[in-house]
Amino acid sequence: MRVTTSQSFDRPSLLMASLTAQADRLQTQVATGKKILAPSDSASGWQQLSGLKRAGADDSAYGANIKAAQALLGATDTALDQVETQLQRARALAVQASSETVNAEGRAAIKVEIKAILDDLIGVANSTDTRGHPLFGGTSGGAAYTVQSDRSVAWTGGGEPAAIPIGEGESIAATTSGARAFGGIAGTNGSTDMFQILSAFAAALGPDGAEGGVETAMNDLDAALDHLGATRASVGARAFRLDLEAERLGEAEITREAARTGIEDADTATSIAQLQKTLTILQATQASFTKLTSLSLFDYLR
Amino acid sequence: MTDMLSIGASGVRAYQTALTTTSENIANAGTAGYTRRVASTREVAAPSDPSNRVLNGLGVTVTGITRASSDLRNAEVRAAGSDLARSEAGIVWLDRIESALTGNKLDERMTAFFNAATALAADPSASAPRATFLQAAATLAHSFTATASAIEGAAADLDGTADAAVNELNTLSAGLAKVNASLGRTAQGSSAQAAFLDERDRLLDSMAALTDIAASFDAAGRATVRAGGGGPLLVQGDQAAIATYARNEGAVSFAVYGIEGSQALTPGGGALAGIAEGAARLADAKAALDTLAVDFADGVNAAQASGDDLTGATGEPMFAATGARDFRLVLTDPRGIAAAAPGEGERGNGNLAALATLRRDEGFESQVTTLTTGNASALAGRRAIAEVQSTIHSNAVAARDAVTGVNVDEEAVDLIRFQQAYQASSRVIQVARETLQTLFDIR
Repeated sequence: MRVTTSQSFDRPSLLMASLTAQADRLQTQVATGKKILAPSDSASGWQQLSGLKRAGADDSAYGANIKAAQALLGATDTALDQVETQLQRARALAVQASSETVNAEGRAAIKVEIKAILDDLIGVANSTDTRGHPLFGGTSGGAAYTVQSDRSVAWTGGGEPAAIPIGEGESIAATTSGARAFGGIAGTNGSTDMFQILSAFAAALGPDGAEGGVETAMNDLDAALDHLGATRASVGARAFRLDLEAERLGEAEITREAARTGIEDADTATSIAQLQKTLTILQATQASFTKLTSLSLFDYLR
Repeated sequence: MTDMLSIGASGVRAYQTALTTTSENIANAGTAGYTRRVASTREVAAPSDPSNRVLNGLGVTVTGITRASSDLRNAEVRAAGSDLARSEAGIVWLDRIESALTGNKLDERMTAFFNAATALAADPSASAPRATFLQAAATLAHSFTATASAIEGAAADLDGTADAAVNELNTLSAGLAKVNASLGRTAQGSSAQAAFLDERDRLLDSMAALTDIAASFDAAGRATVRAGGGGPLLVQGDQAAIATYARNEGAVSFAVYGIEGSQALTPGGGALAGIAEGAARLADAKAALDTLAVDFADGVNAAQASGDDLTGATGEPMFAATGARDFRLVLTDPRGIAAAAPGEGERGNGNLAALATLRRDEGFESQVTTLTTGNASALAGRRAIAEVQSTIHSNAVAARDAVTGVNVDEEAVDLIRFQQAYQASSRVIQVARETLQTLFDIR
């Protein structure tokens, strides 16, 4: 077979071009550490990668929400703790007031103290989170509790607090509404809230206080403390669930990263070895090309 | 002795021609489409009859310049060239679609949009997450339009490329018709004929790279060219047809006007076939993207309408789109985002769950990924095929060149051979002169 002169130039130049392209591809792999640079490098790999990338972006959004929910639950728990302390004080005062030895002056002093506790509790029930929103206001934007013209305290929030999404199809209420935390207490005379209990207690301590008012207040305060305990337990359980969820996200990220590395990352050692091989072949091709093309019969024609 | 002189002279003449032919071969060793020439020589036999018994011949003569060509191998090169050009032209457009779909990161922008909604759900009444969400929506809208305009830009480039290819085909057809006309006027075995035949084969190769062709040749070497698969006549004698290109969305149509009136051209190979495929792919991608954009806008707007914005009013539409190209954000006030379920109050986030449901049910991001990977599989497959076809093509070229190409070393050998023959013939003349001189010197 005749190897034509132009072919002996064209073929090696094509081969060298393809070797250079291969070396360039390997060089990019080594430099970026990735073997999938475009979808056409591996369609199935790309599909998995985009799924992983999406899950990663989702999880970081959920992670931020979990942090926000944890902060809210922390603030809620602190507020509920303060309420519990005050209610226990009120309960102790009720025990004191029910004693036979307390005279009218003593009852008046207790009444002053109960009023102070009531004011404190209004303050706590209207406490806000780090963003300035009322903790116990539910979904409405206004203050949680307001003192009415008849000096009674009413919940002016609305609904239950919005549940924060913390995972695919999962959400958690990061706080609780005032109506649920401080109201709905099964008192002696039906459903009541802690402000009414304390107001009734204060009224019972007055000179024209109803007979047995202190006992009722004592029983109702017990019920209020029970109710509060249940609410705190629920908040604690939610905080625990958030901890678990945060842990799950951390583990999912590690698994995802392992999967991504398996699909996307180039094995640097293999890539470098391949690059070296390609370069060696390229050099040999260049050397043999120069050698072959420098041979010409015309050199020997004198 | 006069015989000897004339024989020597004929040798000198013949080898001069042979040397010239060899020199031309050497000079054109690098010329594309050049076919090696051979000066064929023949002995000049003396006429003899029973009364006149001539013992010797009368020397040598060059009968013509022969091209060392092979029509079969040429046809193989053309077929392989058509296949390769088709794949390579198709790859260009698949590659454009790939970069259009990935370059603007549409799927990532969608994910960012939905994640901004997730973040907003944690703090629905605050202005910062609302502004972030609206910004994510604006970025997504831009990504939609940028992706669509990248695909439309590719379609416009495709039109330009197709026009250029069709013009080139017309130029080649016209050139071939001229070559046919010239071939009819050229003597057989002349170097002019060889040059025209080279030009003919070169033009046919170029035409085959544009569309698959079937060529047949008459005794004078004139080519009749049909578009492949029994298509319309492109060149017949000194007539050339004019090809045209038109595109309506994904449907590309080529037509040929001229020799047989007006006929449709359906390229089965060559760059034109690749362009037709590319146009169909581009149109498919655009249609899929348009559907996706409209579905996305409708879905989000329906979610908006099912909730209350920050002022307690029913949510207004967020996007407007009749396709991906005009996908735009129409909601400008962050307070207009309908995060709350109806009557829930400004800190409600009940309606944002509708967006999460929309995302899960429609799988918009997966749709983009599927679109991308579907195209990517086609592209990877096409590249693998092109690699094989490239090998087939270069083998066909090598096989043809083995017959028709020039090897300089071989020509160097011929050069020496013909030079020696030339010198020997000159020597014959000298000997004849000296022999005659011997006779003249007799006194």
